[in-house]
Amino acid sequence: MLTVDRLFKQFPIAGSSKVVSAINDVSFSIAPGETLGLVGESGSGKTTIGRIIVGLIEPSAGSVRFDLPGGRQASGRPPTGKVQLVFQEPSESLDPRLKIGATITEPLQALSVERGAWRRRVRDAMGLVRLDPALLDAYPSELSAGQQQRVGIARAMITEPDLVVLDEPTSALDPTARAEIIDLLKRIQAERNTAYLFISHDLSTIRFISHRVAVMYLGMIVEQGEAATLFSQPHHPYSSGLLSSVLLPHPELTMESAVSLKGEIPSPINLPPGCFLASRCPFVIDRCRVEMPPAETVGAGHSVHCFRHADVAATRPASKTFEAFMAEAERILGRPASQPARFVPKATERNSHVRTS
Amino acid sequence: MSIAVGAERPVAAPNVAEDLLRVEGLRVVFPTSAGGSRTVLRGIDLSVRPGEIMGLVGESGAGKTTLARSILGAPPVPGRVAGGRVVFRGRDILALPEKQLRRLRGHRLAIVVPNPRGELNPTVRIGDQIATMASVHLGLDRKAAKARALAMLRAVQIPDPERRMNAYPHELSGGMAQRAVIAIALICDPAFVISDDATSGLDVTVQAQILDLLRKLAAEHGSAMLFITRDVGITAHFCDRVAVLYNGEIMEVADRNALFLAPAHPYTLLLLAAFSHNPGLRQGWSVPASTPPSPAACIYSGRCPLAQPLCRDEKPPLAELGPGHAVRCHFPVRR
Repeated sequence: MLTVDRLFKQFPIAGSSKVVSAINDVSFSIAPGETLGLVGESGSGKTTIGRIIVGLIEPSAGSVRFDLPGGRQASGRPPTGKVQLVFQEPSESLDPRLKIGATITEPLQALSVERGAWRRRVRDAMGLVRLDPALLDAYPSELSAGQQQRVGIARAMITEPDLVVLDEPTSALDPTARAEIIDLLKRIQAERNTAYLFISHDLSTIRFISHRVAVMYLGMIVEQGEAATLFSQPHHPYSSGLLSSVLLPHPELTMESAVSLKGEIPSPINLPPGCFLASRCPFVIDRCRVEMPPAETVGAGHSVHCFRHADVAATRPASKTFEAFMAEAERILGRPASQPARFVPKATERNSHVRTS
Repeated sequence: MSIAVGAERPVAAPNVAEDLLRVEGLRVVFPTSAGGSRTVLRGIDLSVRPGEIMGLVGESGAGKTTLARSILGAPPVPGRVAGGRVVFRGRDILALPEKQLRRLRGHRLAIVVPNPRGELNPTVRIGDQIATMASVHLGLDRKAAKARALAMLRAVQIPDPERRMNAYPHELSGGMAQRAVIAIALICDPAFVISDDATSGLDVTVQAQILDLLRKLAAEHGSAMLFITRDVGITAHFCDRVAVLYNGEIMEVADRNALFLAPAHPYTLLLLAAFSHNPGLRQGWSVPASTPPSPAACIYSGRCPLAQPLCRDEKPPLAELGPGHAVRCHFPVRR
């Protein structure tokens, strides 16, 4: 449905002949009803890719192609309303002076939808994201962060898009609100077969929602593949290092990894020759410093840019940590079958720091 | 159930004298524009032992930052302490005159905050900002203070520390600026460090490095830490004990293994279920929030799937469910 082919983006630096190489040869595709998770640290180029796809910025080279239902093809800028964007900070991406209803309606103006249909469409969109219709006349400041993000999603969904770019949509939210938004997005996808490009730095959220995952580092997709496969057996040292930093809320379950990344992401100005990770990589060999590793296929739909991918994969057996955590969650967090018994503390057993007032 | 952390400690009647810092019944109120007041902390009880890393988790608005600042005797403006004590080494620091309190802050009690660039003075070199702490609080001369600052930059693993001494904050990356703020907090060898969401703005690989560093420095200096965060996952791996804050009250506090493997409060269960991929699990702990309960009710009763009439009539105490495991609930989950 979406095919991105050999995309490059360079930003000039004012008053200098140098450029920031934000995107360096990125290719991927997304099928209808599929979620591609785009994960990487700040400065890796995730947001730039999202903005190129929705047509907010032009690529320096490469192509973005949409194959839309009905056989229509579009290159470059997507057809109006078919591709939408949801932003990271819900409080900042909503007009504070505009009522919720007006905010959600705005995209319909661009689509020249008949005015008579607006009211119904807004109510449908609010229903889709489970927003109370009573909030139609509320202002963004009256809403919680989770509700504000539902408004952002309703505004995107009202045009019935085929693809939604979600740029860190849950990063500003508390865990419970985050989980609600993810559930909501999955439900909408099941109902409407919408495709998502889900951009996040949070691997556990990415694992939660994505069918496939692309790992970005310094403007490159260093590895992409099925979410379950990539998370259990990463082939790129950077993916492996990222995974080892995931902290699940279970003291006995850690993401075992041979890779612990030192230092920070280098500057995207005047990129080094060879592999961009070479300066931080424990697997580095001389060849990495002079030659960029090409994409190699290591499994069905699984590709990686690393000369030593076989060694990286061989450092540890495939991890079942996420699966183990989900099983533990069922055991520890399940709702008890019956109401727990009343707890009457004994006064003598009370702790010194525990008081009854 | 195994308790890996703190198992060597006696489980019976904890010795009050053993606590390094104890918060007792701390209440903080904020005036409202309507002329009334809003209670943000409703009687917090919390104790931290020497060398211990105590986690405090809660969602936005629970009162985490208010607690961090109030422990240092400086609640966020215009809040004020309306009751309770903060006992540090046997002394109520909230009763100290401001002059003595200022001597304690930054010296024996330190805080690390997020957004390091906002905390650092943009016009002063990093080395001077760190050295100032040592000369003010430890009375070191300029040369000795600078030497100590350099040692501190090395300890927080800033690459090329000699050169970075002369750098201005804008010349540092976010991760390095956060390390500089940690260096400022730790240069006087504080006995107690509060980390208020100090790693939240960092990338995950940098966050992992900063956490390692904080733990190593705490162990080396024998200092205790209150580690405040909204990221529940970090506390499962980084903290010895964890307290759960909801709407200005501690709902549950336990050794980390007990809290994560045998959570008892319905709110703790809701927080942890947010990490499960099974929506059914979450829905079991979530009910549409209803009208705010009366002051006599359990503060969580409006959102609690297990709430009974008793919960709306009578607020439960924070009481001991098992050794070192306290819960504020009439009907805690026990498995």
